[in-house]
Amino acid sequence: MQMEGFEQWKEEARQWVQQGIEYALQIPPPQLYAAAAVLVLTTLLLLFIRLFKRSKSNTVVLTGLGGSGKTVLFYRLRDGPSHQGTVTSMGPNEGTFILHYESTKKGKIRPAHIVDVPGHSRLRTKLDDFLPQAACIVFVVDALEFLPNLSAVAEYLYDILTKASVVKKKVPLLICCNKTDKVTAHTMEFIRKQLEKEIEKLRASRSGMSEADIANDFTLGIPGEAFAFTHCINKVTIAEASGLTGEISQVEQFIREHVKP
Amino acid sequence: MLEQLLIFTRGGLILWTCKELGNALKGSPIDTLIRSCLLEERSGLASFNYDAAGAGYTLKWTFHNELGLVFVAVYQRILHLLYVDDLLAMVKREFAEVYDPKRVEYSDFDETFRQLRKEAEARAEEMKKAKQVNNKPVNDGRKQGQGKKVGGFEGGNKNKSEANGDADDNGKNRKLENGHSNGNHHVVVEGSRGTVVTNGKENESSNTGAFDVSKLQKRRGKGTKKTDTVVSKGSKEDPKKKITKKNRVWDDSPAAPKLDFTDPVEENGNENVEVVAADQGESMMDKEEIVSSDSESEEDEEGKDAKPDTKKKGWFSSMFQSIAGKANLEKADLEPALKALKDRLMTKNVAEEIAEKLCESVAASLVGKKQASFTRIFSTVQAAMEEALVRILTPRRSIDILRDVHAAKEQRKPYVVVFVGVNGVGKSTNLAKVAYWLLQHNVSVMMAACDTFRSGAVEQLRTHARRLQIPIFEKGYEKDPAVVAKEAIQEATRNGTDVVLVDTAGRMQDNEPLMRALSKLIYLNNPDLVLFVGEALVGNDAVDQLSKFNQKLADLSTSPNPRLIDGILLTKFDTIDDKVGAALSMVYISGSPVMFVGCGQSYTDLKKLNVKSIVKTLLK
Repeated sequence: MQMEGFEQWKEEARQWVQQGIEYALQIPPPQLYAAAAVLVLTTLLLLFIRLFKRSKSNTVVLTGLGGSGKTVLFYRLRDGPSHQGTVTSMGPNEGTFILHYESTKKGKIRPAHIVDVPGHSRLRTKLDDFLPQAACIVFVVDALEFLPNLSAVAEYLYDILTKASVVKKKVPLLICCNKTDKVTAHTMEFIRKQLEKEIEKLRASRSGMSEADIANDFTLGIPGEAFAFTHCINKVTIAEASGLTGEISQVEQFIREHVKP
Repeated sequence: MLEQLLIFTRGGLILWTCKELGNALKGSPIDTLIRSCLLEERSGLASFNYDAAGAGYTLKWTFHNELGLVFVAVYQRILHLLYVDDLLAMVKREFAEVYDPKRVEYSDFDETFRQLRKEAEARAEEMKKAKQVNNKPVNDGRKQGQGKKVGGFEGGNKNKSEANGDADDNGKNRKLENGHSNGNHHVVVEGSRGTVVTNGKENESSNTGAFDVSKLQKRRGKGTKKTDTVVSKGSKEDPKKKITKKNRVWDDSPAAPKLDFTDPVEENGNENVEVVAADQGESMMDKEEIVSSDSESEEDEEGKDAKPDTKKKGWFSSMFQSIAGKANLEKADLEPALKALKDRLMTKNVAEEIAEKLCESVAASLVGKKQASFTRIFSTVQAAMEEALVRILTPRRSIDILRDVHAAKEQRKPYVVVFVGVNGVGKSTNLAKVAYWLLQHNVSVMMAACDTFRSGAVEQLRTHARRLQIPIFEKGYEKDPAVVAKEAIQEATRNGTDVVLVDTAGRMQDNEPLMRALSKLIYLNNPDLVLFVGEALVGNDAVDQLSKFNQKLADLSTSPNPRLIDGILLTKFDTIDDKVGAALSMVYISGSPVMFVGCGQSYTDLKKLNVKSIVKTLLK
């Protein structure tokens, strides 16, 4: 049954091909050449556009631990102050848009492609999908609940800073201390120092791991010296922000520095 | 009352909440739900319970996979709200129509929701009433039936019309009620709902015509056939049996033709009636189960027969479908692929229960999604499963023991690891391997021989200690292991040892006295890491072992927040070839990561779990 159907189908197809060839033979050759040339040119053009686009990525990756305020920041960048709160993300938020504060500006502005990767540790593997295209990374840290999560934050940051895709392309990273509108929030300087200290510890324990372990591709910092963010191959800066009240000018600046309008 | 109803995207943005309900929830039930249920591949469950100080909530949820929306309803646990499932389904349907990815506010949905809620509440109310009314006539009917026992069937007609009159008053419940009062006549058995509903259908015809006893007798058999359908209808209406309803929705469509198949088996049908009548009440469920299991086995046979047919027909259409992409995936489409995947997981030694749950959760995440072009359903399902597996096996907490050791060192405390597990899984051997690994990283280690039960255990550990040249703390046999461990830790603190590895006696998960002793040991010494040692060879028992260990540790502990198992050490990994399912079973059931994998006899045979290769092996 099946084979018969197939045979029949094949027969029909052959007839169509035959008709097609006959039809093609009727067309004068110059027309054919012209058509072929147009085809080739279009393909090349499309390819060029693809290559050109890829060379200048506009992807901004928002990352950080769960509950640090990435989703709020994402929607703040996109829509400004209009949403009703967020819950733990189960999947990434992705969008290509002109940043909200620029929407009143005139002229042509290149939209940024912003990805908010969930912070839950089970979903972190998603980060690997986005990092290779990243033009810059915003690492969001909860300045309010900083100390209890210190080691987890440092570990995550360490993992990102040693990823091959980050180191090789020297992707700039911004440590964004979120929730600074609260009174009890830690200062930027304090957070930077604590993180450096913690990463220093990690450096010791990680280099002690055997090769079979989860191998980080690169080591951080200069051997024999206490770690500082200035030792990183890629540029690491730190900034304060508050996603809830909308004081995110430093983040916007950072994004615009690396995704040219 | 409903406490809260939320609609949010998978990305985590709340799109709409009910402002009228506006009660502040205690704690953060939604985040807890997402973290400990939805992200742990447990979304196949029916509901989730959340306990906060002073409040116990039950949460129910539903997904709209195509639009990536999640709907969650929160209500007080003590209230058994029957309409929540209905309401969620309705809200989902309505909201999907107004949803637009660009919009973030839906204040106009308030009005729609109010209506939906009223509707749902009214329906629930009706159901409740219907149930009460149903119960009443049963009693009446019983009386009548008993009365008419002598009078025989002649009076039946009259009675019936009376009953009909009543039924009309009761509006909606007419059919059921009819069944009740009538049923008690023909079949003299009293008040059993199974039979009662059986005859429900006959009434309509006999209402008009004369009452024919012989015909009735004949029909009785037929009526039984109908039980299946009627029963299923009945249970749909009956909110109490929601759970069973859910189960059945599954094989609803394949089961339908099956009911016709029972045609030739009239005698069986009759038997069934009698059985049901004798059992009363509950038996409806039992019977249904029997029927459904029957139908399942038949279905299998049928499936075998039907397969070549579908293949012939489906060759072109499936080809076309794979190119064009299917509109929306439905449960029925996923079924064969999921079954194949489940079987594959089980051949890899994944516990059946867990394979089942995983498949359900994967199905829940795929139903309603658009299938991409140029893919087959199987590959779609497999990709979803792979993602789920990676998510499960990726550790939730840091498994960097060395860093924790350094942290403990700074606080001038020894880092204490307790090895627990059933007998003969290799606790002592792997303890020695861990000691060796720690030694290599310049950490000073001490062993504590707290297996004071099995003869030779201390000597075995001593041998390891001698070979590795590390100190061992031992107090011989017949001592309380908790005390021995305590002293060992004190000793380590004095000597400035970094890590204490505590060996315990193997125990079966059901052995209460030994489990109590273990609970005491853990409570008394508060170790930094409780490592469960489990064999990779284990199959279905993995679930039992881990869940019981966790359960017992929680139950028998005297402290309010008991310590559970923090990590897993998987042993004998070199003996299992590609049957790596135990790793998945253990991680899924306990939620703690696999920290080490023992894969040989020598000290160096200790590895970290390679998640990617495990997932690959599982799906191979």
